[in-house]
Amino acid sequence: MKPPTSGGGVTCELPYNGSMLTNLLALLAVSGPILWLLRPHRWRHAGWLAAVAPAAVTAWLLGQLGPVSQGITLNEHYSWSQALGLALDLRLDGLGLFFGLIIAGMGTAIAVYAGYYFEKASTLGRFYALLFLFMASMLGLVWADNLLALFVFWEGTSITSYLLISFKLTDSNALEGARRALVVTGIGALAMLGGFVLLGQMAGTYSISGLLALPPNTFTGHALFVPMLGLVLLGAFTKSAQFPFHFWLPGAMAAPTPASAYLHSATMVKAGVYLLARLHPALAESPLWFWALFSVGGITMLLGAVIALRHYDLKAILAYATVSQLGVLVMLLAFDVKLATVAAVVGILAHALYKGPLFMVAGIVDHATGTRDIRKLAGLARSLPLVGAAAILAAISMAGLIPTFGFLAKELLLENFFALIESGQTQLGWAGLAATVIAGALFVAYSLIILWEAFLRRKPALKAAKIEHAPSALFVLPVLALTLVGAAIPFFLTAIENTLFAVPVAAITAAPAELHLALWHGWTPIFLTSLLAIALGALIFTQRERVRKLFASGIQVSGARAFDGLVDGLYALAGWSTRTLQGSSFPTQISIPLLAAAGVVIYAVSLNLVADLRIDWNAVPTFYEVVLPTLAIVATLAIARAQSRLSAIISLGLVGVVVLLIYVFFSAPDLALTQFLVEVLTLVLLVLVFYRIPHHAYPKQPKHRSMKYLLISLAVGVWGFGMALVAAGEPLFPLISDFFSLNATAAHGGNIVNVILVDFRGFDTLGEITVMVVAALGGYALLRASRMRPIKAEEDFEEPYDA
Amino acid sequence: MPELYLALLDRILTPILLLLAVVFLLAGHNAPGGGFIAGLVVATAFLMQILARGDSFVRKLIGIYLQPAMGVGLLIALLSALTGIGNNGVFFQGVWWKLSLGSFELEFGSPTTFDIGVFLVVSAFVTSYLLELSRPAEGAAR
Repeated sequence: MKPPTSGGGVTCELPYNGSMLTNLLALLAVSGPILWLLRPHRWRHAGWLAAVAPAAVTAWLLGQLGPVSQGITLNEHYSWSQALGLALDLRLDGLGLFFGLIIAGMGTAIAVYAGYYFEKASTLGRFYALLFLFMASMLGLVWADNLLALFVFWEGTSITSYLLISFKLTDSNALEGARRALVVTGIGALAMLGGFVLLGQMAGTYSISGLLALPPNTFTGHALFVPMLGLVLLGAFTKSAQFPFHFWLPGAMAAPTPASAYLHSATMVKAGVYLLARLHPALAESPLWFWALFSVGGITMLLGAVIALRHYDLKAILAYATVSQLGVLVMLLAFDVKLATVAAVVGILAHALYKGPLFMVAGIVDHATGTRDIRKLAGLARSLPLVGAAAILAAISMAGLIPTFGFLAKELLLENFFALIESGQTQLGWAGLAATVIAGALFVAYSLIILWEAFLRRKPALKAAKIEHAPSALFVLPVLALTLVGAAIPFFLTAIENTLFAVPVAAITAAPAELHLALWHGWTPIFLTSLLAIALGALIFTQRERVRKLFASGIQVSGARAFDGLVDGLYALAGWSTRTLQGSSFPTQISIPLLAAAGVVIYAVSLNLVADLRIDWNAVPTFYEVVLPTLAIVATLAIARAQSRLSAIISLGLVGVVVLLIYVFFSAPDLALTQFLVEVLTLVLLVLVFYRIPHHAYPKQPKHRSMKYLLISLAVGVWGFGMALVAAGEPLFPLISDFFSLNATAAHGGNIVNVILVDFRGFDTLGEITVMVVAALGGYALLRASRMRPIKAEEDFEEPYDA
Repeated sequence: MPELYLALLDRILTPILLLLAVVFLLAGHNAPGGGFIAGLVVATAFLMQILARGDSFVRKLIGIYLQPAMGVGLLIALLSALTGIGNNGVFFQGVWWKLSLGSFELEFGSPTTFDIGVFLVVSAFVTSYLLELSRPAEGAAR
């Protein structure tokens, strides 16, 4: 299967005019809120109902395996904003199908599992709403065929992830972890957007399939290749928790366990890996790509595996193991060879099918005993046999023992490095091999630790936790189902290798792929190395207390602390600038922007613009052209001379009325109306605000301050006058108003001002009213806060304003 | 701070202002007016009520609707912008329908509904600020 050439429009090998992908996304996005409305916590088996939508998606995707493996892709195109190159293009190809199956399949299991996990907690509905919104975003992410649309879905997953981590609103740890995750992935995503724009500029299209159809040297040979790659990789690395951004992932484990198992192990954290795989055909030729992915992935793999051994919390161990596994996947995608890609694809699925269930097991254990500390647990395999069975199956796959799916993934990983050594790159191959063996041994060690300490041994290290309520068989069923699928896959390799695995491999390498996977290759060096890793792991397991002490005494690489320091520094900077610029009295605050604006314009006027002004000195001003400005000047002087706030406000209102009259005389009824209403409302608002300020806070100004304000006012006056002159002079740019008046009737409107507001510049208006709502919420909160701690009035305070 | 003469005046003025707002809102696309102005007019009407009958009266009357109105307004505006896409166009592309009522023909389009969204946001926004600011401060005299 080769990506089709694209003209940026609809690309389609077969006539397909359906909208199935869109419908499925809509189905998921809508079914969550609907479930919420149905109040699922009141039902005993709500999880099964919830699972219907993701199960339907899974079933449909399974049906597409056949056609897609024959090279058929489904394309859907919706124009969103042509001027920006933004289109809601969806495309189901091999890679999208592979990830889609993981997302929807895991989602089905998680939906059932969550129903029992939350039991009768009333938050279940909210959880489903967020979970399904996430699922829709995640599927959109892997199906998007437009870089900008991909970014939108990417942010969708970040936001839903934030809301899921901070799900328990009273837990300050969860809020902290959620904030960290959002900020780290958010910064990465913004960088990535910049990278996407560069990528789009290089390709001349934002269509992903169009971009991949171009020869790779369009990108690798481009002058801006390095910045582009750096920005895109920053996005991928932050999302997939690569070193040095790995710290957000363990913090995200404060999420409810179904969310951890789903988002932070099986799906969302693989979005970065997905992006790397998606862009692989275009960028992987570059040596920079190789070294960045190889080194970052390798460091992450080792670091995650080492830190995992330090922890006693089941979820923390699994979180760092996930970091390590993500490092493996990134490292594999560094290579531009088929073997590494196969290893990555197999690794992605194997990881989803063992790590997801292990997280779910941790949730069940927590649910049943009230703790996840492995020092307090023991013998769970006997007391909870079904859970034990699932845990054992998943853990031996994590350890990579034969004949599990994890073993297959590890074999392929090792085979990649052996192939590298054979191809002549011996140093690189040996380094990779050594790192992999060490990481593999650590994988084995913590798998054995979890298995032995929590499930098999008879006596715990600390006071044992009791099983308070045993999970029902239905609670364990989705976990068991996932592990059984994972356990069965190695035995049906020939049946699925050329559909499930070959299809994404072909998409990543952009070449047709035929695979021959097998569990057993005989006593090859690969198998012996695998055995070596297992033996090393067993050794570490027997010496685990010593190793833990050793690792704990080592240097603590705390990305979280560095990040918190950065954030604190940012807060300090914001605090400093607020104190300096806004901490003083209101007149000083308002002078700063006014003077800045005046300074700029006075500078511009001083250049040469004055010469172009068309001033007709012979014109005789009309009656109202004389009266109105005089009135305004008198009113302004009255403001300055006012002895009380009320009279100042009234004089200010008078100035407003003069402006209003000017609009009337120059026939701008819309502006006059608006001015009138705004004038009335601000007048009353000012009275209401000043009503709250104690009377004595209107002191007489000392002379030097009056002078200062006079000078500032003069500068601002000159600025306003200069602006008016320039605006009335020769136009510096072609005027846009002609376009508006010519096209207003085409936009079905006679009132140009209104047509501009709601049609021509509707985007601006939408932004403005959004800001308004946000400001309303913020202002509402501030006014509330000020009411909680009222400003104490002085004793001589009697009347709010002077008569 | 209810005032007697205002209480008399607002009986006449409030309905007129609200009616005016409707006129501004619906005629706004062709004649002076529009959602923004109509929203301000509605806020003025409520301002008069606040001054005449006190903020707690108005709060009891409409207080709970203000925040939902802002949300609904924003949603209406967003959906109006999206109708363009639904109609095989692009985001914010205007879609127009003609309603003929006998000899009278009414043009009604997605910019109109967008304006209604703007109207809801503006009126609720300004009114809620007026209400919050006119709430007597606790601890202050009066």
